[in-house]
Amino acid sequence: MTNANTDRGYVAILGWSLNAIDAIDRFDRRYIIVAPAWAEEYATANDIPLIVWDFERLNDRSMEIAQKLKDKGVDVAIPLFEETVEWAGAINSVLLGKPRIMSQSLLFRDKSLMKRRAQLGGIRIGIFEEAQDRSDIIHFLKRVNQALLKLDGDPNDPIHLKALDKAGCEGHWVIREPDDVDKITDDQFPLLMESHLDGWEFAVEAWIKNGKIQFLNISEYVTLGYSVFVPATPELEKYRPQVTAEIEKLIEVFEIDFGFIHPEYFVTSDGKMYFGEVAYRPPGFQAFELIERAYGFNAYQASVLMFDPKTTQEELDNFFPREVVDAKGHAGCFGVYPRRRVISELNIPEETEQHDYFEFHELGEPMANKVPKRSAFGTHWGLLHFFGPDPHVMRDLLKAQEELDFYV
Amino acid sequence: MSDSTTEHKGNEERHNQFLQEKLDNALRRLEQARPFAKIQYQTQVLALCGRIIGDAEGTECLYALAPRLQESGIFVGTDWEMPSSLLPQLVTNTLERGEKMTVVLDCLSQLRMLAIAQENVRHPTVSPEQARDFLIQVLSLNLKYLFDSADETLRIRLGELGDAVGVLYRFLLEHIGLDNILDGLIKEIWRILAQRPIQVLKVKAMVTRIAVMLSQNKGEIASINIGASRLVSALFGPTQGCQDDPGLEPYRMRLETMDLPALQQEAYGFSRAMHDVGLVSDYHASFLRWLLEQGQGQLISDALGLSSTGLDALRSYQALIHTLIEEAIYPETAQAIYGLSLLLENGALYSSPIAPGLWRQIKLPLSSHAKATLSSVLGDALEPRVYLLASVISLLGQPLGVAQGNNPTCQSARALSMWSYNDPDYLLHLIYQCVRYDSVLKHFEGCPIDSATLESGLAVSAPLDTDPVSIILVPHLDRIYHEMGRLCVGRGQDPHRWINPEFHGWWVGRQFMIAVDVGSGNLMDYDAFIEQFYNSYHPYYNGNQPVIHPQPVGIAVTDSNAQFIGWHAITLLRVALDQTAVMRVYFYNPNNDSGQNWGNGVVVSTQGQGERFGEASLPFEQFLSRLYIFHDDPVGEKGGAMVPAEEIEQVKDMALASWAAGRDACAREVEVQTLEV
Repeated sequence: MTNANTDRGYVAILGWSLNAIDAIDRFDRRYIIVAPAWAEEYATANDIPLIVWDFERLNDRSMEIAQKLKDKGVDVAIPLFEETVEWAGAINSVLLGKPRIMSQSLLFRDKSLMKRRAQLGGIRIGIFEEAQDRSDIIHFLKRVNQALLKLDGDPNDPIHLKALDKAGCEGHWVIREPDDVDKITDDQFPLLMESHLDGWEFAVEAWIKNGKIQFLNISEYVTLGYSVFVPATPELEKYRPQVTAEIEKLIEVFEIDFGFIHPEYFVTSDGKMYFGEVAYRPPGFQAFELIERAYGFNAYQASVLMFDPKTTQEELDNFFPREVVDAKGHAGCFGVYPRRRVISELNIPEETEQHDYFEFHELGEPMANKVPKRSAFGTHWGLLHFFGPDPHVMRDLLKAQEELDFYV
Repeated sequence: MSDSTTEHKGNEERHNQFLQEKLDNALRRLEQARPFAKIQYQTQVLALCGRIIGDAEGTECLYALAPRLQESGIFVGTDWEMPSSLLPQLVTNTLERGEKMTVVLDCLSQLRMLAIAQENVRHPTVSPEQARDFLIQVLSLNLKYLFDSADETLRIRLGELGDAVGVLYRFLLEHIGLDNILDGLIKEIWRILAQRPIQVLKVKAMVTRIAVMLSQNKGEIASINIGASRLVSALFGPTQGCQDDPGLEPYRMRLETMDLPALQQEAYGFSRAMHDVGLVSDYHASFLRWLLEQGQGQLISDALGLSSTGLDALRSYQALIHTLIEEAIYPETAQAIYGLSLLLENGALYSSPIAPGLWRQIKLPLSSHAKATLSSVLGDALEPRVYLLASVISLLGQPLGVAQGNNPTCQSARALSMWSYNDPDYLLHLIYQCVRYDSVLKHFEGCPIDSATLESGLAVSAPLDTDPVSIILVPHLDRIYHEMGRLCVGRGQDPHRWINPEFHGWWVGRQFMIAVDVGSGNLMDYDAFIEQFYNSYHPYYNGNQPVIHPQPVGIAVTDSNAQFIGWHAITLLRVALDQTAVMRVYFYNPNNDSGQNWGNGVVVSTQGQGERFGEASLPFEQFLSRLYIFHDDPVGEKGGAMVPAEEIEQVKDMALASWAAGRDACAREVEVQTLEV
């Protein structure tokens, strides 16, 4: 924390991420990390300021951590992971004296509430319902397909099931036939069901201060759950004005004054935007790292600027580059899943390793020979990183990775 | 330069620029990172360094970055953090056993040491002298990397990085100088030459450097090392007429002035040096060509050092041999003279298809693809067909001198060796098909397999670090081998059962013995396997029947710690008593250097235990303890003695203490049988 400027705010980071801590340590804000006990040894050894806290239990002691931080003079708390979003809400409502922040954070945590709020605010979304058990799912699947005027024997349009409070692809299932429902175990309920939107799905990363968008990035998904890159192709970037308008709507409806949001949208063939969901924390798939690679600014530091109430207008004006035009290239990554059932080793295919755009991978050697069955969209085994000047080369390259074996 | 090579160069340049930008970016992030977060960025930098280090240019570039790498914190938190605590003795182990990224880190650490030694980096605890001493020790302990880096252990684990290690060590040597490691280096060269490899480029390069050094330090070192001067003189001045290394043109002028006895002396000098060392001087080629031009053909037999057998073959096929010299022997291809001499000696020419096969080879026009491939690798000092013809001569003369280079193609290299040894006219036939039509046709269980229609196998690109015949033929053979493997998928047994006889020839035994169960990778009927091998090949137990044809066998390669590395294809050549009455198996290993340490005292010998040039050998039991596949002909009882149970037990124990460790248990995860590389 050698650069810390005491005129600026003092932030608490909820969750442990070495990349985030490194970035914030290099920034000019005082900080303290709030993380589980297992981080203590590393933090002590490396002089990282830490308060140990167990986020698993949201209970009558929640006030305690808020008070602790307040006593230390902390101005604001920043969540790093989905599980810490409501903690940040609770803490910030105390630190900033704004009780509504707590209930706002719950909107981000419960997908069903989130959708309802969006719908109330006039944001276009697909059809959705909550399911308490398997019969709800079958009913919803039938009704959606009836509404689409499908006849008996026509292939069904799929529906999507999502755990109410999980991040990203975790707990995300696609159901086409009533038989598929058996895959869902009891512990997944209740969950959210959504109609399938046939369109181009993408994500947005938006940094917000004083209710205004300070920087807006569009992340292009090549294949959901596999690959993403930034900035997007011109074909997607041409929707930027509409996307900006949608984000402004979101800011208004969710009463977001500051912070960082990561919503997902579909754009259909007729150019209409459908809201998918929104998260109030850094996205997965190392999107922050990709943004830094493409634009050069550190996305964690950017988030600190957004949250810190003492950030000046001058700082805001100087921090961000111009969107799209200032990008030095396109940065993308691909999540690897083994394609074979039995594997013995990691093997990066020549065509990947020799490609001009390939940077590095974070894949490890397999621990066992048998690949566990993928449940839901599952979690990838590691990411491949790419960087290069041409968005179309990037897109095709990421697509091509899907046909390759990284574990043989 | 053709368009395609220009384009290739351009692509390579662009690729390097991309890599540089990426390394620069990753380094910048590592530099920025706080000490506690360095670990997040080290692997990215290492991975990029690993991709850059591959060639001389890359090594140079990383050397230039050495100060920045050190400052960035690439070594922070690793065992390499404090250079003063590094031990030269540990480097070999790192290279042999380390993960890829560990090897890269070790290489970067050597470059840091060099930078300290050259005073490009100042280090508080290591002086330039200490750094230099450290590197001298590292080089002395790892001399083999100066020649060919790629034995099985390194190649399987590191792939292309295996070559990079060699490039780096030669780079270090260039800066540290030869004189400090000279004695060890000379021994190493003699050890390699004792195996009589066909590819001697790296050896020649090293001898050249020794020659330069000796001439610069006359008096000091030259008198000490007789081994060194023999090597140098074999290349640069093997005879009276050229011992001062006058240059090719002046030497020819000297020849003009020599009388017959003097020319005779020259001929003896050349052949003596050639057979003594295994290296051929450029002057030797020049001499042979001059003899033919001057109508002095009668001196050729002395210049080749022929025995009465060779002399008889030369007289029987004089026109052919003279044409071969005229068409194939130039200073650039001088090494083929050794092959030519041995071709005459081994009697292959008496097999009636060989001479006409060679005549076809002499006149054979190359396909444009074959031409382009050969010129891109060998340059265009000579026509591609000349290089190929010289290579054919070498291969026929030195069946055990061919090697796979740094390529996963042991099967194909072994096949070339076997055909050359046992079926040379078939080899000529394959070369003909391949260079004329860019395809090789073989049959598998009656079905034709045409290499031209197949996707590439393990050898993705042409093997460039091997001899011209391999460069042309191996990609085709490799594809066919993999196609045969594909056709065996689903049979539930090791594919070599069917592939080996079809791929190599009728003389591969029809009985197939394997030590492991393919489904589980566990040992299977291992006692019976051991006993059968005794009964098939041990003269005491098989009725004293010598091996008739070379047989393909599969071994489980282990590293110097006796850990399993992979399956590997070699050739069983002979089983015989050595001079100390130990029964040994003599075999051919397509690796470049057969002298390998397989752990637990199993050290493969290449000279001094009755080996012929190019053979490797192990005591019978030791060899058997690493064997997992062999063939034999089902001929019933061989009339040998019973194999004592304790012998079987002994072999089994050695196997279980190495590659077979853990394979005697029942439940293991399924391991898919892989093809040998």
